[in-house]
Amino acid sequence: MVKTMNEPKAVLIIDDDSDFVRAIRTLLEASGFKVRSAPNGRDGLQLARTSQPDLILLDVMMTERTEGFFVLQEIRRIPELSKTPVIILSSIYSDEPTFRVDPDAGWLPANLFLAKPVDPTRLLTEVTRLMNESALVKSSSEAVRR
Amino acid sequence: MKILKMAKENLDLFVSVLPAFGEVYAPLKRGKGYVFDRPSRWSDVQLKYSRTMLPPKKLMLPPREMTFAFDPEKGYQDSLTEASKPMVLFGVHAYDIYGLNILDRVFAQAKYPDPYYIARRKATTIIGIDFEPDEKHCASSMNADFVDHGFDLFLSDIGDEYLVLVGTSRGDDILIMSNCLMHTPTEADIEEYKKRSKSRRDSYKVHLALEDLPEILEMEYHSKVWDEFGKGCLSCGSCSMVCPTCYCFDVYDEVDLGSRKGQRIRQWDSCLLRTHALVAGGENFRHARSSRVKFRFYHKQRGFVAEYGRPSCIGCGRCVDVCPAEINIISVIQSIRGERDVKPSNSSASS
Repeated sequence: MVKTMNEPKAVLIIDDDSDFVRAIRTLLEASGFKVRSAPNGRDGLQLARTSQPDLILLDVMMTERTEGFFVLQEIRRIPELSKTPVIILSSIYSDEPTFRVDPDAGWLPANLFLAKPVDPTRLLTEVTRLMNESALVKSSSEAVRR
Repeated sequence: MKILKMAKENLDLFVSVLPAFGEVYAPLKRGKGYVFDRPSRWSDVQLKYSRTMLPPKKLMLPPREMTFAFDPEKGYQDSLTEASKPMVLFGVHAYDIYGLNILDRVFAQAKYPDPYYIARRKATTIIGIDFEPDEKHCASSMNADFVDHGFDLFLSDIGDEYLVLVGTSRGDDILIMSNCLMHTPTEADIEEYKKRSKSRRDSYKVHLALEDLPEILEMEYHSKVWDEFGKGCLSCGSCSMVCPTCYCFDVYDEVDLGSRKGQRIRQWDSCLLRTHALVAGGENFRHARSSRVKFRFYHKQRGFVAEYGRPSCIGCGRCVDVCPAEINIISVIQSIRGERDVKPSNSSASS
């Protein structure tokens, strides 16, 4: 998929909470991002393959409690998506007293782990930062190839 | 050995930390059977499975692999980096772990260690799980229904929880990462484990006597039983393809046409196939099907005992599952002991 320079950056939200999706969509679109969403992992993966977003916001507890973890592994197996920045947005480590994921543990191939409820300013900052970093890596690797 | 326990309802969360140790493979339903593959969601993972169609051998010794590529300009490029990719095998039954321990003797501890096998084995985390034997399992007869090594963690069902046995320091690392899910077992948990362990031992429907089998095989080398099995055998090789401890392979070069570039390929072979003992000049040392059937069972039950001190069969029941002619470890041992008649389901030419 070829993207032009002026095309808005695309974000894919994979989350089953429609209210949350609506709120994040409004926030991101107001900041100039193009937003798509999917209500579960399977649809999300399909959409990610076809639309190749610039960044993915991924919930964990959807149809299944650990769905997002498996989706993330799948994402990393797809060559075109293996470097796409992913932010996990989940309440799994605040609402689940029996399981606390340390956001800094670094055991998942995610770029960032943010706890729900999400601070909108922090989310926007992180989305922009990760997209810029990703674009920088992409352009430098293209320069090396040339 | 360190032992902890974990609630069954938290197993999905436990599995979620495993990608830190490699690509996760688990038993999944595929058609009417089960396979070890990468789950795309937790509910795909089958914890109560009889046996997978192919054993974990397929991941340590792939059915077909390129061992190295050669090129006059670049020289040799081996595939050891690819073979060293970390992997987690979740939900392996005790007999299959035993099967890997047997392959270790051949590929890792024997005179000529195999770097590809060793690389995969070292990079693989094994998490075992217990099982209920069905009418095809004979792992207890083969002393392979319990393992004390060859796994990193082993999960034993004690009702609403699993006892988690730690086998290696890597297993301990996994528990450190999932520490919040682990608890100390009580005396009642240990009692429950012992009760279930006995119940599982008692539930085996197949019992095979192995004590003097090598001697009986020696005495019955010229038995007509082998001819009868030879008439039934289709030489399809299915039994050795699904066997966790059959390890014959063929090696050949694939050379790119018009160049000196190519690849060295290693591919599973089977002593049941007609070409297995075929040599240059057209001589075939095991031309008759009966001799090939006999060779396989003598290698497993006699040759391996002489070489390694135990038979190489681990009683998984896969050969019982797949052989279209009902030639399997149970029917062969019972027939050679005179405990049942040979009933070949097919009889035709002898090669």
